[in-house]
Amino acid sequence: MIDPAHGGEDRGSVLPGKAQEKELTLSLARELRKQLEERGVPTRLLRESDVNPSLEHRAEMANQNAAVIYVAIHAEALGRGIRIYSSSVPSAPPTGLERFLSWDDAQASSLSRSRRLANTVGVEMRKADFQVSIRAAPLPPLHHLLMPAISVEWSPEADDLKPQQGSGAIARLTAALASGIAVIYEASGARP
Amino acid sequence: MIPRHFQITISVLLLAILVTGMYMVRLKRKEEAKNAQSAMAAPIAPPAIGKQERIRILVAYDEDLALRWRDAQVLLPSEGGQRAREILRALLAQYLQTPSPHPLGKDSDIKEVYLMADGSAVIDTTPQFASGHPSGILREELTLISLAETLAANVAGVTRVKFLVDGQERETLAGHIDLMSFYPTTTIHDLAREFE
Repeated sequence: MIDPAHGGEDRGSVLPGKAQEKELTLSLARELRKQLEERGVPTRLLRESDVNPSLEHRAEMANQNAAVIYVAIHAEALGRGIRIYSSSVPSAPPTGLERFLSWDDAQASSLSRSRRLANTVGVEMRKADFQVSIRAAPLPPLHHLLMPAISVEWSPEADDLKPQQGSGAIARLTAALASGIAVIYEASGARP
Repeated sequence: MIPRHFQITISVLLLAILVTGMYMVRLKRKEEAKNAQSAMAAPIAPPAIGKQERIRILVAYDEDLALRWRDAQVLLPSEGGQRAREILRALLAQYLQTPSPHPLGKDSDIKEVYLMADGSAVIDTTPQFASGHPSGILREELTLISLAETLAANVAGVTRVKFLVDGQERETLAGHIDLMSFYPTTTIHDLAREFE
């Protein structure tokens, strides 16, 4: 499940060249879907147009559809390269018993797999020459999700968003992201 | 025929009335100006009464995505909540100056800080703090960490921190970072370490 962040009245960050985060995240998500489907990973977008489902509704849709992997796409002018975030909720203790998960810490039982997803995507991004940092952050809706879940934030340079150069940077980024997701998807045993 | 001495007396009296009138008008204008000035300077919150103290504030720097401790001299009241508010205002003053190391929206301010016996601190901000905050994971994270760490470093016994906006809960600060949760100070320390 790919979640292009923001949409509608929520424009998100202002990017170089006055580009809007909500538009870039949607075009990145569409390109990522294409790349994932080429790798045999069935993919859905949480929004296909300029609408803004609430963060809770985004989590609800991902959980209800029993998504195998959730990736939110963000963009920001500040910083450089790529930041990959997993949730900062505490991990669930390995009790071996079924444990009640509240809505606010639903991610706890998947956190180790989310970190593995973040690391795997990070490796692919570095191979594609992106500067990468992997971190934990209190980012909704990650903590409501039952599956491995990450948010990927890109800080594009002004040139990356120009049509000619942009297609190169966007294709490189989405290909690396798709490769990382495909590795974890394969390992999950979800492929029919 | 009016006697000459009577004419002089009337003239002197008329002149005295004229001068007094002019003086009265001038006094009235002066008083009105004074009142207008004091109305403009009317405080909206009680003044911070207390003594000058040195505190440590954790300042965010957007340029190199860093958090750095700085010393500040602040007039601090003795009451806990007011004291905590002035400490956080000293940090916001850094962000509201021009040029700013980490710009925030105009009129961003701390309305109240509620300190509870169980170690919880609730920071209530003005609506402009959220509505004028630049959107972005890093920017929002830096704001939240610098405020929570500054509070925890200067107010003993704070174990977790929550943010309100104009007395209400809000889902995120500016579309990214969670404002619904209570943040344990241990979690904030861990997040802050990544910006050292």
